[in-house]
Amino acid sequence: MEIVTGILATAVLAGGVLALAALGEVLAERVGVVNLGVEGLMALGALTGIATVSATASPTLGFVAALGVGFLFGCLFALATVLLRADQVLCGLALTLLGTGLAATAGRPYAGSPAKATFEPVPIPYLSELPVVGSALFSQNWLVYLIYFILPIAIHWLMFKTRHGLNMRAVGENPAAADASGIPVTAIRFWYVALGASLAGGAGAYLTLAFVPSWSEGVVAGRGWIAVALVIFAGYRPLTAVAAALVFGVITALGFVGQARGWPVAPAILSMLPYLGTIAFIILPVVAWRRLKPFFAEPAALARPYHRDVR
Amino acid sequence: MKSALSIDRRRLLGLGTAAGAGLLLPPSLRGAQAASFPAVAEKDAVIAFGHVGPVNDEGWTWSHDQGMKAVQAAFPKAKTLFVESIPYSADATRTFRQFATQKANLIFATSQYGDFYKDVTKRNRGIAFMECNGSSLEENLGWYYFAHWYPTYVIGVAAGLMSKTGKLGYVASFPVTSCYASTNAFLMGARSVKPEATLQVVTINSWFDPQAATQAGVALANNGCDFLFGIMDEAGYLQIAEQRGIKAAMWNTDMRRFGPKAYVSSVVIDLKAYYVDQVAKRLAGTWEPKATILPLGKGVDRDVWGETVPEAVAKQADAVREKMLSGGFNPFAGEIRDNKGKVRVPAGQTMSEMDLYKWDWSIEGVAGLGA
Repeated sequence: MEIVTGILATAVLAGGVLALAALGEVLAERVGVVNLGVEGLMALGALTGIATVSATASPTLGFVAALGVGFLFGCLFALATVLLRADQVLCGLALTLLGTGLAATAGRPYAGSPAKATFEPVPIPYLSELPVVGSALFSQNWLVYLIYFILPIAIHWLMFKTRHGLNMRAVGENPAAADASGIPVTAIRFWYVALGASLAGGAGAYLTLAFVPSWSEGVVAGRGWIAVALVIFAGYRPLTAVAAALVFGVITALGFVGQARGWPVAPAILSMLPYLGTIAFIILPVVAWRRLKPFFAEPAALARPYHRDVR
Repeated sequence: MKSALSIDRRRLLGLGTAAGAGLLLPPSLRGAQAASFPAVAEKDAVIAFGHVGPVNDEGWTWSHDQGMKAVQAAFPKAKTLFVESIPYSADATRTFRQFATQKANLIFATSQYGDFYKDVTKRNRGIAFMECNGSSLEENLGWYYFAHWYPTYVIGVAAGLMSKTGKLGYVASFPVTSCYASTNAFLMGARSVKPEATLQVVTINSWFDPQAATQAGVALANNGCDFLFGIMDEAGYLQIAEQRGIKAAMWNTDMRRFGPKAYVSSVVIDLKAYYVDQVAKRLAGTWEPKATILPLGKGVDRDVWGETVPEAVAKQADAVREKMLSGGFNPFAGEIRDNKGKVRVPAGQTMSEMDLYKWDWSIEGVAGLGA
């Protein structure tokens, strides 16, 4: 039991980074825009978080500032992809390069100093005393609760239970039809892309203010890309995206726990687990249960710029 | 153990007479006869550094960058060039070739770039090259490293004295010689005072991945390890140790600000004097391609002990360090068994510096690093 709790506790922390970034990506991809700039946005958010905290000593402010910076760069990305209709893949890659490079340069003064303040655990009464999952899930900082419970449920409700959500999905599936029925395609795309980018920035701040409480160049270490992959695996749905992030966290944690406990498996195999897992998750469901295919289908207009005047 | 260098032995013999080489090395490994590198005026000199990481990593590359700053201070008229974060790929060849076309007189690679580097050294025999953690000598290529196993052993002694569970944890990068020597020396130090101590290694396949190092630290701490050590360029697991109320030792630089209560010491590297000396030799026209392993106290040492290290522990560990410094004490003496129980170093023999540099097996009690 102790092992399970241990694995789960690390998994929740590690998975949180992916979950928040993946939620942001779900928002963008559901309205038909693929944002490959997550990695760069996370780097910017990570730096903003640490810079704000070193000035104000308030992790909450740091997180909010990171959301803001993510939003700002999200607007820039949306300007290029939604308003100017540039190629989304290329713009996303450019945003990643810009974000990581800018964060590395601007982050020089902050390199090698620990975060002045970090998010402290806030145990939830009663729930935190549950066996096995209690200490892992309910004795964390409030960001964890936000990422695992509040945000996904809110986004799920918005997306699948409201008329606005229906409009949103229509924009991602068939922007021309949505446009014809009076839905403001460009506005919806623009703001959700910016909002999604803002969550990616927040994921970066989560990284430097809760998980690895210090800034260094390369601190994101490719997690942005994994978040993008998770969204595909989760069938572009917020609840499954968070679950997938947690599963991914568990697999990653298994690799470390397995090595630390000296399981008789080669360390190389254990380190491979997350990647093997990614491949298995993406391929298996579709191959094994063909009926599930529609569940994993991407929004029909994904990555296609919408031109009202060109058909 | 010498065979590890055999790739170059033929070449060395072919080149004939041995020039003066690193004092620490056996005769068969002495450097090739140097092509002549005539003296250069300070104002015309160009010194180049190719780094593996960013200079602000507060670890490995930062330490080497301090060396470059020392060179700049000592030779203010000389021009210095550097490139950061050079990948282990053909991009490295391109970068070092660029240094060559910029008329560099002496080029340092601060990590082992192997054939990517040799592509350039072979085509530019008139330029002096140095490779950190390198493995072969050529008429214009030397290498340098430092005997990190001595301060590591000293820190191991402190770990053995401070650990209550006897379970030590280690965050490693890859199963490479530096990690074997580091893990083995650490456990040997610990076992010299706590014979039942064991070392569990977690490899994270990177020199720099704060997220992975943090998770590895958590996993080790959860498993009962109460002293963490590792070979990372950042402080991820030190912060975990601070949270968990256990101890940790680091590599490269003083990192106590990340976890003042957990911090015990660090294997600190200081290559300032070495780099200045090499540049001075190159300017004077006396540079030769040598293999150098900088000894304890001259390029590598333990850091000032952390604030929570008991005085008795510091004293006992420092006594060992003193013995190494003044009496040439070599703790890497037989009988040493590998982790499959086979005797690798028989009683009465000691491992040479080259053996330690090329260490590629784990001693009894080290688990998780591979062979």
